[in-house]
Amino acid sequence: MNWGGFQALSHLWLLSLLAPLALFYFLKLKRPRAEIPSLVLWRQVLQDHRVNSPFQKFKRNLLLLLQILLLLFLVLAALQPFWRGGPGKNRRLPVLVDCSASMGALDKPDGVSHLAEAKRRVREMIDGLASDQELCLISFDNTPRKLTGFTNDKRLLRDALDQIQVADVPSDLEEALRLVQALGRSEPFDEVLLFSDGNFPPRVNFDLSFKLNYQRLSPAGPNLGITALSAQRAVTGGWDVFVQIEGSADAEGNASVELFEDGNSIASERITVARGRAQRMVFQVKGDHASSLRVQLTPDGFDSLAADNMAYLDLPGSRPLRVFVPKSLVTYRRALQGIRGIQSFPQETSDEASGAFDLVMSDRPQDMDLVARTKLSVGFIPPELERFVELGTNGSSVVDWRRDAPVLQHVQLADLMVLDQPRFAAGEGEGDLENAGYEALIYGQRGPLLVRKQDSDGVRFALLFHTDRSTLPYRVGFPIFVANVVQAALEQAGLAEALANRTGVLPPLTLAPGGRYQIQTPEQTTEPVTADDHGIVSGVAAPRAGFYSVLENGVTRRRVGAGLLSPSETSLAGVAQIEFNEQLQVAEASAVVKMDWPLWPTLLMVALVVMLAEWWFFQKKPGGWK
Amino acid sequence: MELLTPRPQMTTLLTNSVLDRLQRLRIRPAGKRTSRSRGEHLSGKGGTSTEFCDYRDYSPGDDTRFVDWNIFARLHRPYLKQFHKEEERHVVLLIDASASMKFEGKLDLAKPLAAAFGVMGLLNNERVSAYTSHQAGDAPDRMPPCRGRASLRTLFQFIESVEGRGDAPLDRAVELLLRHHSGRGVCVIVSDFLTFGDLKRSFNMLFAAGLEPMGIQILSPQEIEPDVTSDLRLVDSETQETLDVSSSADLLNLYQEYRQGLENDLALLCRRRQGRFLPVSSATPVESVLFDQLRRQGWIE
Repeated sequence: MNWGGFQALSHLWLLSLLAPLALFYFLKLKRPRAEIPSLVLWRQVLQDHRVNSPFQKFKRNLLLLLQILLLLFLVLAALQPFWRGGPGKNRRLPVLVDCSASMGALDKPDGVSHLAEAKRRVREMIDGLASDQELCLISFDNTPRKLTGFTNDKRLLRDALDQIQVADVPSDLEEALRLVQALGRSEPFDEVLLFSDGNFPPRVNFDLSFKLNYQRLSPAGPNLGITALSAQRAVTGGWDVFVQIEGSADAEGNASVELFEDGNSIASERITVARGRAQRMVFQVKGDHASSLRVQLTPDGFDSLAADNMAYLDLPGSRPLRVFVPKSLVTYRRALQGIRGIQSFPQETSDEASGAFDLVMSDRPQDMDLVARTKLSVGFIPPELERFVELGTNGSSVVDWRRDAPVLQHVQLADLMVLDQPRFAAGEGEGDLENAGYEALIYGQRGPLLVRKQDSDGVRFALLFHTDRSTLPYRVGFPIFVANVVQAALEQAGLAEALANRTGVLPPLTLAPGGRYQIQTPEQTTEPVTADDHGIVSGVAAPRAGFYSVLENGVTRRRVGAGLLSPSETSLAGVAQIEFNEQLQVAEASAVVKMDWPLWPTLLMVALVVMLAEWWFFQKKPGGWK
Repeated sequence: MELLTPRPQMTTLLTNSVLDRLQRLRIRPAGKRTSRSRGEHLSGKGGTSTEFCDYRDYSPGDDTRFVDWNIFARLHRPYLKQFHKEEERHVVLLIDASASMKFEGKLDLAKPLAAAFGVMGLLNNERVSAYTSHQAGDAPDRMPPCRGRASLRTLFQFIESVEGRGDAPLDRAVELLLRHHSGRGVCVIVSDFLTFGDLKRSFNMLFAAGLEPMGIQILSPQEIEPDVTSDLRLVDSETQETLDVSSSADLLNLYQEYRQGLENDLALLCRRRQGRFLPVSSATPVESVLFDQLRRQGWIE
C-alpha cells in the first residue's frame, strides 16, 4: 500500500544547509562571561552533573541540536510530504457542484443547506490540495458554468467556490456532464466528482467516458411547496386560479395559503397535506382588469426549502377577442356567433375593419397581412408554401389527422369530402415542409390539407382547401374546429388561461419597440435588455424566485414575478443511482472523498514549537527546561 | 535644646542604637573555654572567687583556710569549701576579606557582624583580637588582643579599614591565625566558606587550640538562588578561572543540593567541635541577624 510521498523531493538539497548551520554555530558560540564569587560549588556541581547525566554531551550542545532539528523540520516541510488520502491520486479532478433549487434545502431548523455542505466539503478538498493536483470547479443548475479551469490556485478556487449560489431552477446533469466531457478533450482526467442531492432524473442520456464519483448529500428535511399555479377564464368572465401544493416524501402537516392581488390579500385558506399527497385548491378572481397575483404558502412546521413557497401569476385584463373574418366566409362567421366573448370584424352593419386583431380567418391572401397573432388561411396556398404544395382540382379525402393537435380536438374528419386537391409539388415531400417550419395536421391523399406554423410572431394555420368546396361546414366537427381555432387565438392573446411564471427564464415581455431597459433582479442587480422591433423582450434569465422589475431610465415600467419551481425540486427526491447509456449505472459513493493530506503545515507547526521551545529554554525560562 | 542633639555616631559599622542593645548582650558559647588567666567567666574548676560552688572531703595538703569550720564543729570531720574560678575568655574574630566577599554586600554584612561580636566581647571584659585574610600566603592583618571599653575605637578602626581583595583561602587563614594566637575562647569566623581547602583540618586546629568555632556563612542572594538563564562562562573572582555552564533545571537543583550539603557539612564541623554555625544571606539586615537569628539560636544572650 502506498502511504504517501513527497511532492518536492528536489528540495532535498536544503539538507546541505546543515553544514553552514553547524559551522556558524561553533563560530558564533560565545558565552557571556559572568563573574561570580567562587567556582567552588559550581565545579563540584558540574562534575557531578556530567557524571550523573547520560546525555550530558547532548545537553551541552542542546542549542545546536535544537537548531538542527528545526532545520530538519523546515527541510522536511519544504519537501512537501503528504499522506495518501485515497487509493489513487488524481492529478486533475473536475468537481461538479449542483446548485439547483433543491440544494438550498436545509437539513434541520437553522441548519445548513445542501449547497453549504457541498461547499464545505469542496473547501476541505481545496485546503488539502497538493501542488501537483488541479481542480476544476463547475457549478450547474439547468446550465453548467465552468467557474475555474484546472488549477491548484487555492485562492482562486476558494473565490470561485464562494460565488456559487443556489439558483431556483432544476438541475440538468446531462448538460453538466457534456461540458465536463468537452473539458476532457483538452485536459484529460480519469475521474469526475459530483456533489449533489440527486434531485435529477435517474436516467441520463449520456455516454459516460470517465469514472463518476457521485457524492450524494444527506437528505433534507420535510418540505411543502407550490408546484402548480395557473388561471383559466371562467364562464362568468372572471378567473379561476388553481393552486397545487405538494410536499416531499416525508412532509405532512398544516399550512396556510394566501392569495394576494396587486399586493392585497384577497383570499386565504388553511390546508392539510398528507404524506405523499397533493392538495389542490381554486380561488376566484374577478379579472376585470389586468392584475398580478401572488400565492404565499406558510407551513406551520419546519419547511426546508423557502424558494417554493411563493408563486406569481400575471392575469391579463378581460376583453373580447377581436376576430377578422370576411363576410364571404359565412360559415365561419356563423360558427363564431355561438361563441361568447367574440367581436367579429367587419361587423354586419359596416365594412370597416382596422387595427390589430387577435385572430384573422380569411380566404383572401391579402388579409393575411393584417396584424394578428393567430391566422387561419382558407382555400389558398400561402406564398411561402407554393414551392412545396400546389393546388389541384381532382378532389381529395382525408387519410389521417393529428388527433392530439389542440386545434383538431374532438373534430371528426373521417369521410370528409374535399373538391380541391392540395398535393406536393414534384420532388417535394413532408420533410421539405417541416424544414420550412410547417407541420402537417391533416393528411390528404396527395398532400397536406391543414398545416400549422408557430413562431415568435404567433401561430398560423393554413387550410389548403376551401371549406366551402368540402363537406366540412356540414359536419358537426366544423364549429368545434372553429372553436378550437378561437381557443388557440385566446391562448395566443393570453385571454384563455394564464400560467404562473416559472423560474429560469422570464416570459416574453411586450414593451416599446427598440426600447432599452434594465432588468432588476430580486438580488437588486441589473441587466440591460433591448426590445426587438415588435417590442418583445425575451430570454431574460430569472434564476431566483421573486420580482423582476423592468426599469426605464430608473423608473419601474413593469414588474414580473417568477417563482414557480419544478415539482421535482419541491419533492427534494434524490436518486441513489444514476443510469447512463448502455445500462451503465453509477451509485452514490459510500465513502467521503479524501484528498491527499499534506503534512507540511504540521511540520511547520512542529518547527514553530521547536523554535518556541528553544526560545523558552535559552531565553525565557529562568530555571531552564525540566 | 541641647538634650535633643543626637549623639555622634561611634562607628560606621553599627548604629548607636545597635551598640546600645549590644551593651546588654554577651556571647554565649556552647562550651566554656576560658584561659587560665583571671577573668570574668566562671570556670568549671574550683577557684577563689566569692561564689560558692560545692563541698568536698578534706585531703591532706589542702589549704586549711577553705575548711568549713562550722561543719567541722557539728560533724567533727573536715570539709573543704569550693568556689568558682573566674577565668578570662578570648574572642577571636576572623573576617574573610578575600575578593569573593566583595559580592553583593557580603563583606558589608561581615564587618558589622564581626564588630558586634567584638563589642560584646570588649564590653564583657573579654580579650578580643581580630584577623582578616586577604592574599594567599600572606599573614592575615591582625588586631592584637585587647580588652575593655577603651579598645572599642581600636576595634572599629581595624574593622572599618578592612577591604575585600586577594584570594586567601579560609583554611590557610585559620592556620596563620593560630600561629599568632594563644588563649582559649571562641573564634567567630565570618566568611562565605567557599574554599577548595580542607576546613576540617583547620577546625581541628582551632579546637585543639581551645577555640570554639562559631561560623557565620554569608552568601549573596545570587549564590543562594543563582540566575543562570542561558549558556554562561562563569569567572572566579579570586582565581579568574572559568567554567562553562548551560541553563538546566537539573544543574540548578544539583547546585542547591551542593549548597545545602556544604551548609550541613559546615554545621557538622562546628557542632562536633562544640561550635555553632549559621548561614545568612547578605541581603539580611545586620539587626535581624544579631537580634533575631543569633539570639534565637542562643549565640548571644
